[in-house]
Amino acid sequence: MSSRYTRRAATLGGLALLAGCLGGSDSTGGGRSDPGTTTERTPRRPNDGAPPTASKPLPVAHAFETLTSEVVSGGPGKDGIPSIDDPAFGDAAAGDEWLDDEDVVFGVVRGDVVRAYPQRILVWHEIVNDELDGVPVSVTYCPLTGTAMGFFRGKTTFGVSGRLVNNNLVMYDRETDSRWPQMLATAISGAFRGDSLQEFPVVWTTWGKWKAAHPETRVLTRETGHLRDYGRDPYGDYTPRKGYYASDSTLFPRLHEDDRLAAKDVVLGARTREGVFAVSTAALRDRGVVATDDGAFLAVYDPTLDHGSVYRTEDVDASTFSWSDGTVSGPGGEYDPDALPLPRVVAFEGMWFAWAGFYPEIELYD
Amino acid sequence: MTETVARTRRALSLTLGRRDALAVVVAVALAYLTLYLFAIGHLSVAFGRTGFDLAVVSDAFARAFDPTGTLTYEPVARFRAGPVTWLVSPLNLLVGGVLAGLVGLNLGVSYLLWRRPQACGVNPSVGVLAGIPALLSGSACCGPVILLVVGVQATGAVLTAFAWLVPAAALLLVVTLVLVARNVSPTAEAA
Repeated sequence: MSSRYTRRAATLGGLALLAGCLGGSDSTGGGRSDPGTTTERTPRRPNDGAPPTASKPLPVAHAFETLTSEVVSGGPGKDGIPSIDDPAFGDAAAGDEWLDDEDVVFGVVRGDVVRAYPQRILVWHEIVNDELDGVPVSVTYCPLTGTAMGFFRGKTTFGVSGRLVNNNLVMYDRETDSRWPQMLATAISGAFRGDSLQEFPVVWTTWGKWKAAHPETRVLTRETGHLRDYGRDPYGDYTPRKGYYASDSTLFPRLHEDDRLAAKDVVLGARTREGVFAVSTAALRDRGVVATDDGAFLAVYDPTLDHGSVYRTEDVDASTFSWSDGTVSGPGGEYDPDALPLPRVVAFEGMWFAWAGFYPEIELYD
Repeated sequence: MTETVARTRRALSLTLGRRDALAVVVAVALAYLTLYLFAIGHLSVAFGRTGFDLAVVSDAFARAFDPTGTLTYEPVARFRAGPVTWLVSPLNLLVGGVLAGLVGLNLGVSYLLWRRPQACGVNPSVGVLAGIPALLSGSACCGPVILLVVGVQATGAVLTAFAWLVPAAALLLVVTLVLVARNVSPTAEAA
């Protein structure tokens, strides 16, 4: 009889896998300022108020000197884009009062806590300093690279520095003022230069899909402590995609040009010890599963949330997995796409130019 | 110099003393202020929305001085009336009000010159054009999105230029006002 995981089981299993990742195995590791080198570091502990860091830094393809020299002002000053430091949440019915089913939300599950962070709010704030199941976290979003990512923050909070590199949000921690480009999740200057944050997965989906999958979800309310026009996106629109999100241009210089895809095409990317790769979300939707050439990783499409996950295949032959109508068939049976019995790698969607800019050697599967 | 100042003061006095010219000043200033608030994102319209709503942040006085960008400040109140939403930032109202007043006076003096025999054919559009940089400076929360429209990437030089748009607009408006006003005869009387 084939095994089949439920979504609830998948969530718990994913969390267990996530906890394993936080030790710095799958979501971390690889080269740093000198590409190709691997340096294991003693992770700093948050007992001094600083953010917890990964035992192995994430790969960084450019020298830190290059990255810091490419940092530009985005216009607003430090905290000119205010983070949300005291978030309030309502139930799904409260979200329905102002969110359309097609609106983009960023979903997070941890323990019994299920939360949605509407893009319509985060486009104005970029960082929510929150607590999930008693654990301090930051849920972050950069509109210019289209990336939503989660970090453990320890006792400190993160703020928006007002500066960008490769069009990507540069965060700062309020304990040491180190500068952390969101996509790198690694400090490029300050006391934590070279250290990487511990990450957790954030699901980019729509409000309609998220609340259908998680009716118990809580959703960030517009009571942010700030007054903004949350009905308006200053950069364009995702329903349908227009403005900045549909343009071939970027607002600020890119670190590297790569025309394998259009600049704003969305890819699901992962940075691993073995290298950095990305799967076109269009291709992933089309095929259901995409294995890397070396068979070490498997990207899986989840139609329930229109979202992709990446797994490390370990000793399992990646080519033995197939996808049909939202179900993944593998050597051990059938699984929901977010519940494969394999270690999960932190992966996140982003615009192609942003991935290619930070990681010029990125492998692309499209 | 003294004569220039005297002529400018005289022109302003004449403009504000005539009901029709004053109406031009007020109408143009209000129109410009509205455009400015739209440009910086503090005024918006969402058709289909109804009802009234007023919200004020806590510690509004202190937060009114929090900058969100170059010469843009934290809104401390939100007023909704039907489809119109106005995020109220007192300092931006002040900045916009100064610019709007200068644009209004430019047009008012130009109107006066057009309506009076002493007019010297000064093009009233000069004053309006001087106010455009301030409108362009209306930037989004992270980067001047207007650059997307014109297809220019935000280099350091461009961003520096953006930071100076509002002061440059104010200076241009003062210069054009003086240029326009000096065409008003010092002996002219209000009609």
